[in-house]
Amino acid sequence: MIFEDIVFWQAVLAGAIRLATPVALAALGETIVERSGTINLGIDGIMIGGAFTAILVAGFAGWGVALLAAAGVGALFGLVIALAVLRGGANQIVVGIGVSLLAGGLATYGYQLWDGLGLSRAAVALVPVLDLPALGGIPVLGPVLSGQSLLTWATLVLVIVAAPLLRRSRPGLILKAVGDEPAAVAQRGIDVVRVRSVALMIGGGLAGLGGAAITVGYLGAYTDGLVAGRGYVALAVVIIGRWTPSGAIAGALIFAVFDSLALQAQGGRAPLPVEAYMALPYLVTLAVLVVTARGTVAPRALGAPYRPER
Amino acid sequence: MSAAVRLGVGALAVAGLGSALVGVTGADPLSALAGLVEGAVGERYTLSETVVSAIPMALVALGMVPALRSGVFTIGSEGQLAIGALAATAAIQALPAGAPPPSLIAAGAVAGLLGGVAWAAAPALLRAYGRVNEILSTLLLNYVAGFLLLWSLRTWLATAEIVPIPQSAALPDAALVPKLIEGTRLHWGLAAVPVLALGIAWWLRSPAGLRYRLIATHPPLAARLGLAGPRAVLATMLLAGATAGLAGWLQVAGVAGTLYPGVAGGLGFTGILVALLGALRPAGILAAAFFLAALRTGADGLQAGTGIPSAIAIVIQGLVLLVAALAAATPSLRSAAGARGRPGEGTAR
Repeated sequence: MIFEDIVFWQAVLAGAIRLATPVALAALGETIVERSGTINLGIDGIMIGGAFTAILVAGFAGWGVALLAAAGVGALFGLVIALAVLRGGANQIVVGIGVSLLAGGLATYGYQLWDGLGLSRAAVALVPVLDLPALGGIPVLGPVLSGQSLLTWATLVLVIVAAPLLRRSRPGLILKAVGDEPAAVAQRGIDVVRVRSVALMIGGGLAGLGGAAITVGYLGAYTDGLVAGRGYVALAVVIIGRWTPSGAIAGALIFAVFDSLALQAQGGRAPLPVEAYMALPYLVTLAVLVVTARGTVAPRALGAPYRPER
Repeated sequence: MSAAVRLGVGALAVAGLGSALVGVTGADPLSALAGLVEGAVGERYTLSETVVSAIPMALVALGMVPALRSGVFTIGSEGQLAIGALAATAAIQALPAGAPPPSLIAAGAVAGLLGGVAWAAAPALLRAYGRVNEILSTLLLNYVAGFLLLWSLRTWLATAEIVPIPQSAALPDAALVPKLIEGTRLHWGLAAVPVLALGIAWWLRSPAGLRYRLIATHPPLAARLGLAGPRAVLATMLLAGATAGLAGWLQVAGVAGTLYPGVAGGLGFTGILVALLGALRPAGILAAAFFLAALRTGADGLQAGTGIPSAIAIVIQGLVLLVAALAAATPSLRSAAGARGRPGEGTAR
């Protein structure tokens, strides 16, 4: 492996953008959830559920329906969390772990049955690649940008749209107010529980879509363990990105560059053992988390249980 | 809804989802349930296998009690168990195989314990002095531990034999924990469980235990009583690492006799569920460990017997945890199990 080689780095970067997409989608969803004042620790399992749902549905209904189905399944798990935590008053962390096991376990169960029937080796249509001739012509970055899937571009558009919405629109401001001062907002007649429930469903849907971005986005197959903790990385990325959509993208890219490097390292002669490159994305995420931990600007009521006045 | 009603509804939900999952495969839910119980406790050997799985779960869960009680959510048991197993194996291999058994046993135990502590140290320090969320740091390090284990098994600890999965050379017989019952895999490590349970029970009743509970509920008051937050975080997280590491040593020296990639195999993570289901009380934890271990071995037996995927155990675990959380319905986020309602009791039977 030649680290000075421009073609090598173009491959790493192109891979990084591809690999950042699932984490960015999940982190964007979790940014919305945490801005409303709750934490969804079930993201990892929900991503697994979305990844399996997408590959299952894509086989007979194409990639578009597959993405919708994965988002739907994710939103459903978001609703489960909302009911348990906001209506049932259960502990968010325990519910998150429970939902993660539930969603991940159902996907594994389904996969084992499906694999046993020999259906898992069928070819699946991936999300199409968007090839703009204008992009391919850019020097150096051309090969990096062309060949990215429609879903990656959609994620970018989603972030560009979400950033001003969260900062300035009425729903965005209500979301922030609910996450900062729920009691005060409730006095002005806003239903805190409803806002947080909607946020959890959006966040769950985006996490499901993030899982689909792995299987129908670039991999074309499902295996157990393929999410590999990316849901937890997304949770870290939300903190690293300071609860902003653009920060979520940046954080996801940091993780993904090292993830991509690990994939490249497996192919060639790398100076370090392969396992070191595979561990790096997690270590770097942790290191960035440590560096950015000081003076965080978390929503003030984040994680605090909310009890509406009866 | 009262806790009892919630538990009833929850039990129905577990039964309903379980039946649906079994129904999809075309099997009969009732005979599947019979198969699950049969596979868990039906014969002397399956029962002993259940107890073998329950040992690491109980050790991990008991060690987590002080941390969870003081509102520290350490979820790194899986990695700590793996590193404990790795350190124990390395220490045993470093000694001559002819060394006296007590020294080999002691070396394995101490190294396993220290390995778990070492792997818990970074998240503990980061949480205590750097305000880094311990849930995320411990989870991320679980993945790093997995890769460290894989690399070690591929390089400096690899066996010289040709094997399908990477593993270490077999431990010398003198380093193995003796079997409790011949013909089973049940080992003397079981003795560590009641000892630790009694220790935790004593600690809960001690002034220190009561003070630690205040850290979760009333931080300012706890500080006035002379309990420094960072010190408490360090102590509790390192203890959780120590028992997880000890469990790792027992998995190699008591059960497998060798180190292999799947040594943690979800046991560390399930230990966290055991602690939560057991309502952070020693008696509840012992019951919950047996219950979840039975679910695990039962599901394995079910898969072998009927082809129903063993992942049904993971689904049931998740649902049981949800039900327990709802039954406890704690008003505060940072107290893991509530004073009202004990999640372990209704579910662990």
